[in-house]
Amino acid sequence: MAATVLIVEDQMLIAWHLSDLIEGAGHRVLAIARDPAEAMEAAAKQRPDFALMDIRLHGGTSGVEAARMLFECWGVRSIYLSANLDAATRAQTEPLQPLGYVGKPFLPAEVLAAVERAVMKTVPGEKSGGN
Amino acid sequence: MTQTPETILNVNDNEAARYATTRILHRAGFKVLEAGTGGEALQIAREDLPPLVIVDINLPDISGVEVCRRIKTDPSTASTMVLQMSATNIAVTDRVNSLAAGADSFLVEPVEPEELEAVSRALLRLHRSEAALRRTLAERDLLLKEVNHRVKNSLQLVLSMLSLQGHGFKDAETRALFTKAISRVTAIAAIHERLYQDQDPLTVEMHTYLTGLCAELVRASGLEDNAQATLQIEVEEMRLPTEHGVAVALVVNELVMNALKHAQPASGAAVITVRLVRHGAGQVRLTVSDNGAAPESASEVAGLGTQLIKMLARQLNGTVGIERAAGTYAVHVTFPLQSAVSWRPPY
Repeated sequence: MAATVLIVEDQMLIAWHLSDLIEGAGHRVLAIARDPAEAMEAAAKQRPDFALMDIRLHGGTSGVEAARMLFECWGVRSIYLSANLDAATRAQTEPLQPLGYVGKPFLPAEVLAAVERAVMKTVPGEKSGGN
Repeated sequence: MTQTPETILNVNDNEAARYATTRILHRAGFKVLEAGTGGEALQIAREDLPPLVIVDINLPDISGVEVCRRIKTDPSTASTMVLQMSATNIAVTDRVNSLAAGADSFLVEPVEPEELEAVSRALLRLHRSEAALRRTLAERDLLLKEVNHRVKNSLQLVLSMLSLQGHGFKDAETRALFTKAISRVTAIAAIHERLYQDQDPLTVEMHTYLTGLCAELVRASGLEDNAQATLQIEVEEMRLPTEHGVAVALVVNELVMNALKHAQPASGAAVITVRLVRHGAGQVRLTVSDNGAAPESASEVAGLGTQLIKMLARQLNGTVGIERAAGTYAVHVTFPLQSAVSWRPPY
């Protein structure tokens, strides 16, 4: 089943690539946000099933912060994407019920596998392996 | 030169002796905190973080040696200097014990004021230079982390750029060539995601590395939608030096791309197998095999791919072999397992 995804990534080239991959797999990308404020604005307009969240964002802002706001306001969970997924980062995201972690540079197969797992966990009626 | 005076914690349950020590330290210009018990001393050491603690060996609750041990094992106070003090009649073993517990120096009372002051200053000097070293190390760690982040991010940009550009080609042959290029660059870039955060950044664990790459090869080839072919991975858990890891990954990339192209068995599904196992004494063998028809002529496997495999095998100090049997075609590269110079954290 198709899911709706919010991409939060400040580097437009990488965001575009991610968007391509996700749409190629039959899902819908609702918006590309560059920082926590844009992420909240986009999610307020249209609620995604989940977000694909870069940890280090535009202007020194934090993806963990954006993920926390999305989670606390609307229960939207995130897949985390980063070139530095250390233990501290993972610990910070733990209370936000993370949907997965993908390291950069990513393999498209890894991103899509994480997206499919997230779909299973967040899209209603998609609980068990329906392919 | 005006400086805020350095703080010393003076621990002694004997009030007269504690007063005497405090007076000496005050006169020498230090700020002095006092504690009469071990428990009190530990609390002040944690809260005020004095750079130096002078502790008498006999305390009413826990011994001075134990106070010292706890200060040195608690990460928040481990950098604190400890000067152990005791009365004349102390046994040698007690002195040894306190030094073994981490005390930085030991003085036997009665102590001349000049000596107490001089030893205190020496320990504080040591504390300052250790603190400076720790700061430098922390800065260097941060810099390294930042550089790693940049490298990985730049590689991601390269991959994303290539991948987006790949959509632009209408001609199938050009697109296939471009896909090959992306696949090669991916094999090189992907290793960076697996280094650094590991306990040993000079080697790479081959199982996760090759499993990830093969999953991506399957995805990029569209094989996942094709029930007619499967890719099996049998990779032993092993660590290779980074440059060998990259070479092996590139060979796997070439061989699997080739196999995906012409592994078409007469009947049934194509099965491609990637195997990396220890092979005899100190050797490793990489085998990529399939159950399809072997390429008929050399020209079919000619080109950059074959050249790459030869050169990479040479870089591994290895040899390339080809096995053809009924219904199988296998290419293997056998190379010595080089014990990598293992990296250990310096602390």
